[in-house]
Amino acid sequence: MRKTLYVLLGVGTPVVLLAAWFVASAGSTNTFFPPLSYILERFQELWLFAHFSSDILVSLLNLVIGFALAAVIGVGLGFVLAMLPKVGGYVDPVIHFFRSIPPVALVPIFVSLIGFGIEMRIASITLAAVFPTLIATVDGLRGVDSTLKDVSAVYRLSTGEKIIRVFLPAAGPHIASGLQVSLQTAFVVMIASEMLGPSQGIGAMTLLAQQSFMIADMWSGIILLGVIGFIANMLFELGRRRLLAWYIGSRRLARAQ
Amino acid sequence: MKPAQLTRGAIGVLGALVLWQLVSSAHLAGDAFPSPVATLSALAADASGASFWSAVGETVGVALLGLLGSAAAGILAGIVIGSSPAVRYATLALLEFLKPIPPIVILPLLVLILGPTARMSWLLVFIGCLLPIITQTIAGVHDTDPVARDTARSYGMGRTEILFRVVLPSAMPFIGTAMRVAAPVALIVTVVAGLLGGGPGLGQGLYLAQSSGNYPSLYGQVLVLGILGLIFIGLARAGERRLLHWHPSYREAAV
Repeated sequence: MRKTLYVLLGVGTPVVLLAAWFVASAGSTNTFFPPLSYILERFQELWLFAHFSSDILVSLLNLVIGFALAAVIGVGLGFVLAMLPKVGGYVDPVIHFFRSIPPVALVPIFVSLIGFGIEMRIASITLAAVFPTLIATVDGLRGVDSTLKDVSAVYRLSTGEKIIRVFLPAAGPHIASGLQVSLQTAFVVMIASEMLGPSQGIGAMTLLAQQSFMIADMWSGIILLGVIGFIANMLFELGRRRLLAWYIGSRRLARAQ
Repeated sequence: MKPAQLTRGAIGVLGALVLWQLVSSAHLAGDAFPSPVATLSALAADASGASFWSAVGETVGVALLGLLGSAAAGILAGIVIGSSPAVRYATLALLEFLKPIPPIVILPLLVLILGPTARMSWLLVFIGCLLPIITQTIAGVHDTDPVARDTARSYGMGRTEILFRVVLPSAMPFIGTAMRVAAPVALIVTVVAGLLGGGPGLGQGLYLAQSSGNYPSLYGQVLVLGILGLIFIGLARAGERRLLHWHPSYREAAV
C-alpha cells in the first residue's frame, strides 16, 4: 500500500510539475518565459528534423569522437604510466596541473591554434576529457591488491593475460568512474566549443537564438541539451552496470552482511 | 612526500617547460603558440596591473560565494527531502533527471535575464553545485543507522537534537564528499560564465585575450587558472579531512 503510494509520487510529481508549467505558461506574455506549448512547437520545427543533420548530428558526432579518443588515450596512457612507476613519478605533477585547468579554458587556446572548425572542437573535447580517465586509471591500477599481482606472477601469466584478466577487471570500477567524469566534461566542452565564435551545432543554435531574441528557440535548445545530457549519462550508466555487474553485486553482498 | 619523489616531480615540470620552449621556438603555429618565456613575462606584466588582481579576486569570490550559497541551500533541502520518504520519492525522478545536466545548458537563459554580470555568474555557480550537494545530503540522511536513531529517540532526544547529534554527523561524510567534488566545479562554472556569458573575472579575460590575439596573456591566464584549480582541489581535500578527522574512514588511515 505504502509502496504504491511512493511509486505514484515518484511518477506523478514530474508529470504534475510539467503540467503545471504547461498550464501556468499558457497565456504567458512574459518575454523570458514563453508558453510551453509554443516552445514545444518550435522544438518540433527546429530539431525534428530541420536541423537534425546540420546541427544535432554534428554536435553528437563531435561528442562521441572526442569522448572515444579521450577514453582510449586515457586508459592506454594510464596503463603505461602505472606499469612504469618511475616515469609516473616524473609526469604526475604535470598531469595533475593539466587536470586542474578548468576544461573550457582549453577552448580559446585551440581556437587560437587551429581556428573554429570541427578539428578544434574535437581536439578541445579530447584533451579536456582525457585527464579524468587518465588519473582514475593510474589510481585504479596502483591500488590493485599486491596479492593479485603475486598470484598472477606465480601462475606465470603473460603480460597480455595479466592486463586483460587481472588488471583491467581489478581497476575497472575506478576506470568506469573516471570515464563517467570524462563524459560529463566532454559534454560541457562540446557545448562550450560551439558557443565560442561563429559555428554550427546545438550550442551555437541555442546561443544564436538567445542573441537574436528568439526566446522560444533558445528554450527548445536548452531542453534538447538537457535531454541529451541525461540520455548520455543514462546510456553510460547502463553500460557500466552491464560490464561491472560482478562488482556491483559483490558490493551489495558486502553491504548486506 | 618523499624527497626523491619531489625531485622527480620537479624534473618532470622542468622537462615539460623545456619541451614547451623547444616546440614553441619551432614556430609551427606562428604567434598562436607563445614560448613559456613570453608567457611568463606577459603574466608578470599583467600581474603588475590592478585589473588582473581584481579579475582573480572576482573569479575566486564568485566561485566561493556560489559554493557557499549552494552548500547552505543544498544541505538544508537535502535534510528536508531526506527526512521524509514521501518527499524523497516525489523528488527522486526529478533530481535524477536534472543531476547529469551541466549548468552550461542554462547559461543562455541566465545571460538573457541577468545580463553579463557577477550576479549571473554567481547564480550559474549556485545552480551548478546545488544538485550534487542535495542528492548527496539526501543519501547521507537516508544512510543514518536506524538503530542509532531509535536509541537516541528512546533516550528522549527531540527531533532537533536527533538531527544535530545523530543524523547530521552520520551524513557528514556524504556532504564532505559532495563539497570536495563541488569546489573545483564552482571554479570551472565561474570560468564558463566569464568566457561564454561575459561575466567578470578570468573567464572574460580569456575571451578578450583570445579575440584580440594577445596569446601570451591568454596562456598566462590559463596557467593562473590551473594554479587556482590546484588550490581549490587541495583546500577542498584538506578541508574534508579536517572536518571528518573523527570519522572511522579517516581514523583508520591515521593508524
